[in-house]
Amino acid sequence: MTSGDKRNQGPWGKIPNNQGPNFEDAYKNAQKKLKGIFDGGGGGDNKRGIIFAAAGFLAFWLLSGFFIVDAKEQGVITRFGAYNRSVSPGLNYHIPYPIESLTKVPVTVVSRIEIGMRSSLSGRDGIGERDVPEESLMLTGDENIVDINFEVQWKVGNAKDFLFSVRDPKDTVKDVAESAMREVIGKTPIANALAEGKFVIQQQAKDLLQKTLDNYQSGIEIVALQLRKVDPPAAVIDAFRDVQTARADRERARNEAETYRNDIIPRARGQAEQIIQDSEAYKQKVVAQATGEANRFLAVFEKYRVAKDVTKRRIYLETMEEILNGMDKIMVDTRAQGSGVVPYLPLPELNKGNKGKTQ
Amino acid sequence: MTGNMKPIFLALAFFVFIMVASSVYTVAQTEQALVLQLGEPVSVVKEPGLNFKMPFVQNVVKFDNRILDLNARPNEVIASDQKRLIVDAFVKYKITDPLKFYQTVREENTLMQRLNTNLDSSLRQVLGSIPLSALLTGERAKIMGFILENVKQKSLELGIEVVDVRIMRADLPQLNSEAIFRRMQTEREREAKEFRAQGAEEAQRIKSRADKERTIILAEAEKQSQIIRGSGDAEATKIFADAFTRDEEFFSFYRTMQAYKNTLKKEDTSMILSPDNDFMKYFGDIQGRSKNR
Repeated sequence: MTSGDKRNQGPWGKIPNNQGPNFEDAYKNAQKKLKGIFDGGGGGDNKRGIIFAAAGFLAFWLLSGFFIVDAKEQGVITRFGAYNRSVSPGLNYHIPYPIESLTKVPVTVVSRIEIGMRSSLSGRDGIGERDVPEESLMLTGDENIVDINFEVQWKVGNAKDFLFSVRDPKDTVKDVAESAMREVIGKTPIANALAEGKFVIQQQAKDLLQKTLDNYQSGIEIVALQLRKVDPPAAVIDAFRDVQTARADRERARNEAETYRNDIIPRARGQAEQIIQDSEAYKQKVVAQATGEANRFLAVFEKYRVAKDVTKRRIYLETMEEILNGMDKIMVDTRAQGSGVVPYLPLPELNKGNKGKTQ
Repeated sequence: MTGNMKPIFLALAFFVFIMVASSVYTVAQTEQALVLQLGEPVSVVKEPGLNFKMPFVQNVVKFDNRILDLNARPNEVIASDQKRLIVDAFVKYKITDPLKFYQTVREENTLMQRLNTNLDSSLRQVLGSIPLSALLTGERAKIMGFILENVKQKSLELGIEVVDVRIMRADLPQLNSEAIFRRMQTEREREAKEFRAQGAEEAQRIKSRADKERTIILAEAEKQSQIIRGSGDAEATKIFADAFTRDEEFFSFYRTMQAYKNTLKKEDTSMILSPDNDFMKYFGDIQGRSKNR
């Protein structure tokens, strides 16, 4: 039996039915032998020939019990339909048909089952993938819906159990896998399923699947269970993406604000320094001015003390000289006009003229 | 032995062979058998291998010995909270009592129908007593356990053992799914809006704190500045005071003179002088006049 046959027919398809024709064959064999024996009375040569033929047939029959089990396979031998023994790869022998029969099971070949999608090799496009919504949409623990595609990889772990315990091993794997995944997703909130929970979901579903299959003694070993896609349903995926964008927007707003802060605070500190330095400068300046002025006064005062009147008069005259030098002056002799009468002066005009001159 | 014996012997051998052939049968590893005598069940064979029966009067019916599968049609069930559910389950069972099986259902197709009915009613019974939310928790395994027990009890008479019942899909009908989609969408929108608002909130907080900090920095600086300026003024005042208190009379004179110089500028001042002015006391009078006139 090749592995190809197996996959098409399932393990049950090849259990030989030992009734009917088998016995006919056996009968014919026996008849021949009997004939040989009873006809033997007739002539010596003929008898010997028949015995040889029978012996040859017997030898051929016995030799047909040898068989080779490939390294990738395990052989299971049944005697009259009942499980008798399992054999390892290599050259082996079994009592030939119809007493014992052999079934070879590929135990290293890993089969894949896709749930939620079907990938197909379609001509030029390469591998196409088709979603199967009724398999892939699942209800999550918080009554949301999530779109999940996954793949189960399995192989035969125990050939005897695989052949004899469950009628539809492959369909069983698929059904149980789907049920297990839905059970796990059914208690997981959607946020977990979409984010960091993937690994946990995979592991839980795999364990549950293996446990259930072991419970059936199916002889199937789950190699891996891989989530291929965990997405929000297509109808709402935009809203989910917008949440991601919103998260980014929040970061952006924060960064912008921090940029603003990082811009104005150092500037403010600089400005503060400027203010303080300005005031320090002012302080130095007024103190210096005061000191200077005071010293100047004191210097003058020292001299004044020596000759008070003269110095005072000198200062007065020098000041007046300086002030009146170059200034517009109008002399009004009150005595000449008599008895202190002030003559009329057009003051505004005087002022005007004055201004015109300076401008 | 003579030639006459030969046909008789052959006939005898043929007869023996037929007897043997019809009394021997095998039961495969995947099978179990029920032996019927003239239609009446007489024995059950569970051990696989070579077996014997009475020829002609007995015949053998074989049943599968493996775990068999029933995939039920998707079924609408109403949970205790009135939520509708489309439930899709499968049953794994094994024929354990071929006699009973033969008596009640005889063949697998009939069994399928009976079992499907049992599953259906068990699903309704168990799921109808719990709210949908219970199915969406760790309780699910327990609920499936209840359903298994329920189906098991109902199916005892069928000669089978129900090994497992598992819910594959427990989904909401299309209409409800759409409602869920809408809810999911609005939830996400709410979340997105919240994130953006949080962003704005945080940005405003950071900015206003920065503004505050800036104002404080500047005000602190201003305060210090005033203090420094004040101390400068104070120092200057003290220096002046120290100097000027030596002779207040002279100070007042001296300072007045300076003030004159600074205020009476020739550019914007016109002066009307009287010859009586002290400055003019020699003007037209070589002797000079006395001050008080």
